[in-house]
Amino acid sequence: MANVVVWAVWIVAAFSCLASGIAVVTFTNPFYSALALIGNLASLAVLYLLLSAEFVAAGQVLVYAGAVMVMFLFVTAYLGGRADAPWAGGPSWQQFGAVFAAGAILVEVIVVIGLKAGGRLSHEARIDAGFGSPHRIGRVFLTDHLLAFEITSIVLLVAAVGSVILGAHSRRPPTIGERIHEGEVRAGP
Amino acid sequence: MRGPDIAWYLAVAAFLFATGVLGVLLRRSPLIVLLSLEIMLNGANLALIAFSRLHGESSGQIFALAVMAVAASEVVVGLGLIVAIAQKRLDLDVDKLSFLRG
Amino acid sequence: MIVAAWICLVAPLAAALLITLLGNGISRRAAGYIATTSVLGSFAAAVVVFAKLWSEAPSDRSHASTAWEWLTAGSFHVGLRILVDPLSVFMMLVVSGVGFLIVAYSIGYMDGDNEERRYFAYMALFVFSMLLLVQAGNLVILLAGWGLVGLSSYLLIGFWHDRPEAVSAAKKAFIMNAVGDATMALAFFLLIQHNQSLNFPDAFAVGPGHGWLVNLVALGLLGGAVAKSAQIPLQTWLPDAMEGPTPVSALIHAATMVTAGVYLIVRTHSVFEQAPRVEELAAGLGAGTLLVAGLIALVQTDIKRVIAYSTMSQIGYMFLGAGLGAYGNAMFHLMTHAFFKALLFLAAGVVIHALAGEQDIGKLAGVGRLLPVTRITFLIASLALVGVPPFAGFFSKDSIIASALARGWYGDVLFATALIGTFLTGLYTWRLFLIVFTGEPSAFVREHLIGRSHASGQEGAHEDEVSGAHEHDVHEHKGEGPFWMMAPVLVLAVLSVIGGWIQFATLWDAVSNWLDGVAPPLATPSGSQEAVASVLAVVLALAGIGTAYLFYGSRKLAVPRIAWAQTLLEHKFYFDEAYDFAFYRPSVALAKALGRWIEGPIIGGSVRELVAGIRDAALGTSRLQTGLVRSYALAIAASLAVITIVFVAVR
Repeated sequence: MANVVVWAVWIVAAFSCLASGIAVVTFTNPFYSALALIGNLASLAVLYLLLSAEFVAAGQVLVYAGAVMVMFLFVTAYLGGRADAPWAGGPSWQQFGAVFAAGAILVEVIVVIGLKAGGRLSHEARIDAGFGSPHRIGRVFLTDHLLAFEITSIVLLVAAVGSVILGAHSRRPPTIGERIHEGEVRAGP
Repeated sequence: MRGPDIAWYLAVAAFLFATGVLGVLLRRSPLIVLLSLEIMLNGANLALIAFSRLHGESSGQIFALAVMAVAASEVVVGLGLIVAIAQKRLDLDVDKLSFLRG
Repeated sequence: MIVAAWICLVAPLAAALLITLLGNGISRRAAGYIATTSVLGSFAAAVVVFAKLWSEAPSDRSHASTAWEWLTAGSFHVGLRILVDPLSVFMMLVVSGVGFLIVAYSIGYMDGDNEERRYFAYMALFVFSMLLLVQAGNLVILLAGWGLVGLSSYLLIGFWHDRPEAVSAAKKAFIMNAVGDATMALAFFLLIQHNQSLNFPDAFAVGPGHGWLVNLVALGLLGGAVAKSAQIPLQTWLPDAMEGPTPVSALIHAATMVTAGVYLIVRTHSVFEQAPRVEELAAGLGAGTLLVAGLIALVQTDIKRVIAYSTMSQIGYMFLGAGLGAYGNAMFHLMTHAFFKALLFLAAGVVIHALAGEQDIGKLAGVGRLLPVTRITFLIASLALVGVPPFAGFFSKDSIIASALARGWYGDVLFATALIGTFLTGLYTWRLFLIVFTGEPSAFVREHLIGRSHASGQEGAHEDEVSGAHEHDVHEHKGEGPFWMMAPVLVLAVLSVIGGWIQFATLWDAVSNWLDGVAPPLATPSGSQEAVASVLAVVLALAGIGTAYLFYGSRKLAVPRIAWAQTLLEHKFYFDEAYDFAFYRPSVALAKALGRWIEGPIIGGSVRELVAGIRDAALGTSRLQTGLVRSYALAIAASLAVITIVFVAVR
């Protein structure tokens, strides 16, 4: 019984995850794409829960689907309709190559999983009830992985400072790139 | 409580990653490119957490958390760039931002 | 004492650096004062050194000092080493003393020039270079000073760099000197290899039994000395060097540069003494030069060039003396010559200055009546040059001539040549003096000097006209020249009279005794030989003066015109033409041939092909740089797919 419930939850979560992922890529309007990504992230959080990763699932919902996506939506709204670029385009080999490369990666991963690791993937390790809890994650994070923790925080700080600088209004003269774009000077020989 | 094998999770992760790749390679709006990047990262995250469960090892989840932090940084910088581009009144189209053409 | 010697050496360098670094921060006049003060400081320091050395016993009069060593390899040391001994102190006194007067004179002469600061920086550098040369305590420093003298002469001869003649004259001087520098450097290398020592006097101590080595070294040293002192066959740069400002000519001819060759021979006399043939060659070259220069001076029409050839001729006497081993006499003549040659140039400079830069003696004719002080001083200098007692030249020149008598038949030939030289000296000197300083003023002179004094109301208009003719002549004439010009001239006039009295060979030999410890003479003429030489020289000199008077003063005789001789002399014995034919044309032809047959097709062609190939490759590569982010991302994704296959296949 429990097995059936788990399977049902998994199927619903996995399919909504894949569907919202495809929706993100296919929607023309970035606003809808961002909303679809929120759904994607939420269904992923369900999958994390099924994998006993409770702390990561909570972080996924709170930080990712919450804070980061709010920022996304805000920027999309700020830019308004100007954010809509043509759906695809460019040289035809680009589109063909894109589909081919993505398909190749997918097939390769599936084949590798099936061929090389198929048998071993069904024997999951035994875990206790504390696996994936904030208590356990916090202990591991601040002991074994303290350096990674600090580096991550520095990366976040640098990103914050960098975005402030990028977003600040400047009164500098236009760069050569901008002038080329405006058609003032000609690029290249 | 036995659900699907880890292999199924990995299959979902692979699909997500491939979807993200398609988005990055096909779409021209920088915002959607960024969103597709998020999908790729989440595919990788799902794989990390699935392996963490497989081996009963918390380090995979730590890795996933670090990826989330990096993803957040990347979003912040990417959005900053997009806003800056918009402020210069340039088109939001990655194909037109080709000043570095040789 | 050593400290004073260092001060003497460094002061002009400090002034040159100071003027250069301060740049426009100081007035032009201040640059002149800085340079003059520094050279005066040098002279004062040299006097202190001299006094100290004087008080010591003759055997102790040699002190070396090393500031620091920059190369040490086992027992081999190279350092900034100076040597203070009677010879270097003698030269220090002459260089800084006469140099000081000339630099002071420049304050007046160069007044109003646009680039006075550069000029004074160069002058100070010149004096420093010469002091470095004479104070050098090892071969490397000597070579450095030697090269710096060449450099500063180049800078000063070409000082008016907007005049093409000045620039080419500077280049000529530099190249001629480079020939000598090369031979001298080679001689130094041989010495260093043989002696394993750079320091004086060990560096020159070549033991007996090295005939070819000593002869090669002596030849190389002689080459350097001949080039620097403008002796045959490397003499052609000197007359062209008259393109520089007149005080520069005075400095080159009197205190520095051309005397360096004589100094070198005296300094390295121990090498020359072991190579007697080369020594005789030096004496012969000196004799030849004094004769040739005297002849050429007879037909020159440029006042400075006449004096330049007289310098060549007088340096010829010094070479003659140094080659014969009469080192003291050569150095004595170097000193007195510095006095009266500086005076000749500076007095000529007064004339040139007053007449808007004109140097042609035809146009300058008769200027003496209007410039009486200059006439007197020029007369004194001429008498000293010709060697009329009791003026300075008499004492020094006659000793050199006398020392020729003490050296066998070869000496007799040289003796005769030197005597003919004194006759020529009298002739050309008095030709110059009589034409320029006596007789009626020419139209040109009248226009410039008399017109001015009469039409005092139109002073301003005349000034403009004059200053337009020559850029450095922008000042008001008060008397014959500004104080800064006339004072050094008068001091030098006094020195030209009394400067020779410090030695009257065989009666009292102050200079020779002073230098005995460094360079003991090979031949000392006896009293009777001195007397014979003096009498003959004075008689011939007076005969030269008399002949000149007949031709140019009283005009009782017409100047003889011999067409072929005139042409020969006016072309300066065709030395320039011969060098042109022997060296310049073949090099140009060779260069043209190489350029046409080698450089164009082979070197240039290959480079062009290389460039074209690289450009094609770059254009092809640049197509890959589409600037499209998506195609870059595609490349990454495709690579990922391929690498995954590779990994799976390899496992």
